Amino acid sequence: MTEPLRILVVEDEALILMQIEMMLEEAGHCVVGTAMTARKAIALVHETRPELVLIDLRLGDGSSGLDVAQAVRDLGGITAAFMTANAQALNEDMAGATAVIAKPFTGTVLEESLTYLEDCVRRPPPAEFVPPGMRVAPAWLASFARMRAALPPRQGPH
Amino acid sequence: MEQPDAWHQTDRLDAEQGKGDPFAAAVRATRMPMIITNPRLNDNPIVYANDAFLRMTGYGRDEVMGRNCRFLQGKETDRGAIALIREAVEANTDIAIDILNYRKDGMPFWNALYLSPVVNEAGQVLFFFASQLDVTDRVDAHLRVQQEKDRFEAEVAHRTRDLTEALATQTMLVHEVDHRVKNNLQMIAALLAMQTRAITDPAARTAMESMLTRVEALGTVHRRLYQSNNVERFDVAEFARDLATDLVRGSGDRIRLHLDLEAVEIPVAKAPPVALMMNELITNALKHAFPDDRPGRLSVTVAPDSAYFTIKIADDGVGMPVQVMEQRSFGKRLIGTLCRQLSASIAWMTNDPGTIVSIRLPREMAGGLEAS
Repeated sequence: MTEPLRILVVEDEALILMQIEMMLEEAGHCVVGTAMTARKAIALVHETRPELVLIDLRLGDGSSGLDVAQAVRDLGGITAAFMTANAQALNEDMAGATAVIAKPFTGTVLEESLTYLEDCVRRPPPAEFVPPGMRVAPAWLASFARMRAALPPRQGPH
Repeated sequence: MEQPDAWHQTDRLDAEQGKGDPFAAAVRATRMPMIITNPRLNDNPIVYANDAFLRMTGYGRDEVMGRNCRFLQGKETDRGAIALIREAVEANTDIAIDILNYRKDGMPFWNALYLSPVVNEAGQVLFFFASQLDVTDRVDAHLRVQQEKDRFEAEVAHRTRDLTEALATQTMLVHEVDHRVKNNLQMIAALLAMQTRAITDPAARTAMESMLTRVEALGTVHRRLYQSNNVERFDVAEFARDLATDLVRGSGDRIRLHLDLEAVEIPVAKAPPVALMMNELITNALKHAFPDDRPGRLSVTVAPDSAYFTIKIADDGVGMPVQVMEQRSFGKRLIGTLCRQLSASIAWMTNDPGTIVSIRLPREMAGGLEAS
């Protein structure tokens, strides 16, 4: 594992937040902050400048994770992914986020999704395998495909 | 009865159509109202009207003779229809049209008018011949049908609006409940996962992990619900792909997964027991077939079989040890119970090497397809 990722987790369900935090720390990453509302999340994005933001769609105070994703997109250079039980509500653009991980996810899916996102941040493009329940935004998928095509070809039979 | 001067009227018409002419007699006696007008006279007046016409309109013969037909028109008569008749007269062509006319007593009636010019050999229009028919009943019936239809359509539109609104409310409710169920399953999994990490006793930990896997399988069912076009059906094949991929990848990278899946849609209510059954069988295979980090291959088949479908899970591992086959573990009891619930038959076979588990189960609910 390379240098730990600096991750902000935005989730209004305390138990799920706890599980994600625990899993991220076990995987050796650094949770730089957690937020349960869009307002707090946006403030933390500016304050902590994370490399990855995991965002629930429905947040406390009736706020929306879409606003958080938009703020992340406006700032630029930060990878965002949704984690939501309402994945079908997201359109193809996903407010600029790279992917959505549908709830409920399994422990394995969470680990593999995180590996995928870590690759997006640290060594794009990620491997082609997308874990069950994870959906990558089409624009990002296309961009990863272009990156793969530009890579030096693997050693062939010659 | 024949009016005494009727003969006289025909006499005046034309020499050839005079008294005693059988055609003229037929026109006089027919039940169909008929008139003849003379366009060569000023204002194209009526020069002949038969008794049927007088009966229909309620006028006396002396009241209609020498007058233009427009006295039949009234307040509600369609101006467009009048214009069409005028155009036909001016163009010397025939016309058939339903027009609202009025009797002498003011009662309106629908008149199916047929107007036709009578031309001599030189091409000159001598007369207009007009037959009428009181079609009030027909037109009224038509209007009534039209009104009924309009009323019915309005009612249908109204009901459709109500139902669309009800459906929108219901869909919102389903999504809300679906969202809550998925979140709650995620919370249960979170609780199990976190508690499991705190347990040091290996047996207790294994039991907790099995529980977590079962809850996660149910979670995967709910994640996949309402994803197909038909919200009442659940695709076993797509679920099997997600479940097997997740379980095999979760067991490390020494097991290769082979999938042979054909779409099989079952009622949503059947999805949880089917999912739990598949979860038990796949986790069993992964747990017992490949001891000591032995590499291998697991294949999962889902195939329709008329009113039934089969799920086959095959490994190329060490084979089920007899003690595993015979022990009364919770997992085995669970499989037995789910088989009973699903009316499924299950068979364990030797794969040489390895084991094949084959389940055959009805696609519909008990009392569904089989009963019909």
